[in-house]
This record gives sequence, structure tokens and C-alpha cells, in this order.
Amino acid sequence: MAPDPNYTCRVEKPGDFDAFWEDVTKQLEKIDIDISCVLDEFRSTEDISVYEVFFNSLDNIRVSGWYAVPTEYTGRLPGLMLVPGYQSDPPIPKEWAKKGYACLSVNPRGKVRSRSQFDPGYPGLLTYGIVDRNTYSYRGFYCDAWRGIDFLLDRDEVDSQRIAVTGSSQGGGLTITTAAMRKEVKAAAAGAPYLCGYMDAIELTHTYPYEEINDYLRHNPGSRKAVENTLSYFDGISFADKIKCPIIVNIGLQDNVCPPETGYALFNQIASKNKKLYEYDGHGHEAGRYIHSRIVDEFLEEHLGQE
Amino acid sequence: MSKTRPSDFGSFWYSVGKELAEVPIAPEVESIPMRSTDFADLYGVRLSSIGPYRLFGYLSIPKGDGPFPVIYYVPKNASVLEIIPQGTSNQIRSRYITFSLACRGMRNSDSPYAAMYPGQLTDGLESPETYVYRGIVADTIRGADYIMTRSEVDKNKVGAWGNDNAILAAALHDSITHVVSTPAYLFDPIESLTRTDSYPLAEFGDYIRSNRSNADTVQTVLEYFNLRWHAQSITASTLIMADYKDGIYSPETLSDLDELIPGEMTLHESERSSFKDGLFAENWITSEMFGKEVSPIVPEHWR
Repeated sequence: MAPDPNYTCRVEKPGDFDAFWEDVTKQLEKIDIDISCVLDEFRSTEDISVYEVFFNSLDNIRVSGWYAVPTEYTGRLPGLMLVPGYQSDPPIPKEWAKKGYACLSVNPRGKVRSRSQFDPGYPGLLTYGIVDRNTYSYRGFYCDAWRGIDFLLDRDEVDSQRIAVTGSSQGGGLTITTAAMRKEVKAAAAGAPYLCGYMDAIELTHTYPYEEINDYLRHNPGSRKAVENTLSYFDGISFADKIKCPIIVNIGLQDNVCPPETGYALFNQIASKNKKLYEYDGHGHEAGRYIHSRIVDEFLEEHLGQE
Repeated sequence: MSKTRPSDFGSFWYSVGKELAEVPIAPEVESIPMRSTDFADLYGVRLSSIGPYRLFGYLSIPKGDGPFPVIYYVPKNASVLEIIPQGTSNQIRSRYITFSLACRGMRNSDSPYAAMYPGQLTDGLESPETYVYRGIVADTIRGADYIMTRSEVDKNKVGAWGNDNAILAAALHDSITHVVSTPAYLFDPIESLTRTDSYPLAEFGDYIRSNRSNADTVQTVLEYFNLRWHAQSITASTLIMADYKDGIYSPETLSDLDELIPGEMTLHESERSSFKDGLFAENWITSEMFGKEVSPIVPEHWR
């Protein structure tokens, strides 16, 4: 049966949602970013310079990233932030640099190269500190992605008026929250967005990583209310009405990881007037990537192409 | 560069097996109640491989009377160890014993060696003896050794599932009866990296670019791990998940495996859909282990 395009998730945006995140972002702003960006000659090629990046984020966690830029360019480059999936290791974004972008692939806390101070593990990240919005893992994890925009803004070669964000799965979820919280983002492309409609997703599918929450609730049945309350602050759907930039979203209608119903629910709540949903029937969690990658290229070219 | 099976290929792998046999498995098994359900119990398992090196794996055993068929999710080239692969129906744990193992360097098996990704594939690439993958293959074999010690296992149905290591497991451990493999970097690796600059194969390219004088050595070392030379040892029933026709590991590229593997072999060309490819693999393993009349256990959105 085809998923209902009018599906509505049960999450309710908390009344103090904006105040909560304003407080978090103020805490983040107080922390000196202290960027380190060192050329990695081993990974660099004639065409692409690769840099290993570190910067400070919330709670003074040192976050890493890979930064790739073309070796030859004129003027300033459009900036792109690539945000990673849940379990995958953040890639070196050489392919984006080849297309003419200055691209940061950020490794939020707990991922490889960013795990020395915070490491809830896998499975584990999705439920770490989940009974309190102030201790939940994604409070800092989201900030790590948002700080990636500050990194791009700090780079002389990046045109601050031409910055975009993209990613799929967890990267799709981080694309949503980053586009919502950082006005410098001029375009966003989110694939198979995770972290949207959590409490619906854990009933719509029984696969990891969402299954981590079912494990947690089965083991801690008295915590359901607290879990629901915390997640309402982190649900991408709660962020959706803050997205004003052009955005495209792609979903697979047979997605076994991030249920397409939650993708519809998210998309319908996005406030941007320039938004488009691409639905791929016959496709799972890859959400039609092989077809859709060309569409992402054209979308980013349209919105970031001209200096 | 020509592809040449090393003259001491057999003795090299014999020595690895001999070294492994001298290391006791020494398993420690600990229940993980939070990940146990009303249809399966989950355990964390620690065991030893060559070095000696202590490894970690997740073992899930269905409730009820066995024996049960096994799916062994072999170590992969990524930092994270999953209980079962992302997107797999958790209910699969009601039908199969599942065992996922973190090789040395992966999360949970990263002390004292914490691999980087990318980075793992070129550690110690100076010689076959120092190359980290020698230990990783030993770890993969050790995982099969451990499975065979479990009384709940149906020893006629032991599947190895994963990337290149699934083929290596079947080639080097005769307990493996079924293989589902998606080769990603060890079939003719040097030749293959000339067709891509994507990771993980690009790791070899990075290494050679920085150590040009060692290019021949890299080629020689990797031949010990080339799936081409291991294929002839596989007697298991095998499913190879190839790329789409224009991919690095297309059916055409992998057609040699079809000829080299003596056991029953199916070569599947990717349909560029994780749904269609995933469903094909689940149907194949279910049919192989239970017969065509039994339906696979698949996620809600694949039904």
C-alpha cells in the first residue's frame, strides 16, 4: 500500500521551543570556535586540496571535519556543507570540490575522529540522555553541524552569500535543522530525512536505528512521556516552519529506515515557498539517489552558481 | 600491471591459519537485556584473534528450540559495528542466529588499534606480513570459529553476509555454507582503482600517490587479498551483488568470479534501488536455507 502523502505525525512543537534553542545557540556563540585547518597532502591531488579540520562546539567538544576545495578557481567559491548519515563515516568530499564547491564534510561528536570527548556508541547515540532535553545527545550534535556553517563563513575563499547544505538520512535530518537555524544557508537538499517524526517512525518501522528507541522504551517503560517530551524539541518537523530558503526533499516510497510517511509529514510543514518534493516509487532508503543526484546538482547550480 | 597469484599464496594463508589455531578463542559472553526482545536474546561477545587481539561482536539467538540457521555479518570497512545491518527487519532475529563482528580497528574492537576511515585499508601496506588486513582476515575467520562452537547453530546453514570479507570467510573457513557478498575493494584492487577516485578504493590511490616508489610492492601485497585468488576455494552457495552495469564492480567485471567459484553462484546486477536489491538478497537467502515456499522476513515498507 502506498504511503499517505497527507500523513501527519503526532509531534507537537513545544511552546518554549524557540526559547530553548535560543538559549542553546547563545551557549554555543560564547565558545571560541578555534578553527584548525591543516592541508592533508596524503589525501590531496593535483585537482583537489584536502584539509583536516577541527573546531570547538557546544560544551567545548572538539569536532572534526574534512574540507575539500579545487586547487584552481577564480573569484570566490560557493560553500557547501555535507552532513553525514547515522552510522556511516563522514566522507572526504572530493567529488563536490571537483564540481567547484568549497565543501566541508562535518563529523559531529561521537563519529570517527570526533569521539575522544563524547562517545555514546552505536547503537546508543539515538537514546543517549533522552529523558532530558538538556542532556540529549542531539543537543550538541545539532550544534556541531550548525558550527560547520561558521567554519565556511570563516574561509576567505568562500562566498558567504552562496552557502548550501545537503545530506541524506541523518544528513537529511541535519540539513533540515541547519537550514532552519542558520539564515546564511541559501539552499538545502535533504534526502530521506531521519530525525523527523521519531515517535511515529518507531511504530511505522522496526529496523535500526529507530529501533533503538523501542529498545529503550521496552527497557524503561516509565520513561515514555519524558522521551516524547525531549524528542519534540529535536524533531525535524518542529524545525520545519523556520525553513525559508529554497529546499528540495527526496524520499523513497519503500524506505525501510526512514518511513516515507514521516518524509511527507515533514515536507508539508516546511515553511519555504520555494520547496519541492521528489518521491521515488520502487526505491528504499537510498531514495532514488542515482536519479536524484543530477537534480541536486542542478538545484545547487541554480541557487549558488552565480557569484 | 599484471595480476599474478603470489607463488607463496597457499603457504601465506596456511601460516595465518596456523597462527590463529594457536590462539584460544577464549570467549566471554555477556547478556544485553536492553536489546533482547520476546523473540531473541542479545549478547555481547569478546573473543581473541591473532596478536593476540581482543575482538567484540553482537550475538543474537532466537528464543525457542534450535538448532537455528546463522547469518554471520562479517567485519566491514567502516568504524561502526551494527547488531544487524541498518534497515534489516529486527524480526529476522526470530529466525536466524545473527553474529556481527568488529574486526580490529573498528569501534568496540579499537584497543589498542583504532583505525581511521579512510585509513584502515593502507595501514601496514609495506608487506603482506605487516599489512593490517592480514589480521582483519584472521579476525573474520575467528568469528566463524566462534559460531561453530555454539550448540544452537544449525551447522548446515551458516551464511556469511557483507562486503569482500564474506568471500574471504567462505574461502578460508569450510563451515560457511552460504555467501551474500557485495565486493567493494578487493577484487583486482589496483586495476579497479584506475576506474574511480571514490573511497574506499581511493585509499590505495592516495597511498600509491604518496609512495610512488612502492607501487609494485602495493600491488604485490594486495594480490594476497585479491578475491580473484580466493574464489577457487569457495564451495558455499554464493550470491554476488554486483554494481549497476556502469559501476566499478559491474557484472561484467565480476564475471570472472562466476567462472572461478566452483560452488553454485548467482551474480545479481544492481537495480540501483536498495529496496529491489535488498529484497532480492533476502529472497535468495530464505530460499536457499528454507526453500521457495517460505517467505523472507522483510521490513514493513518492503511488504
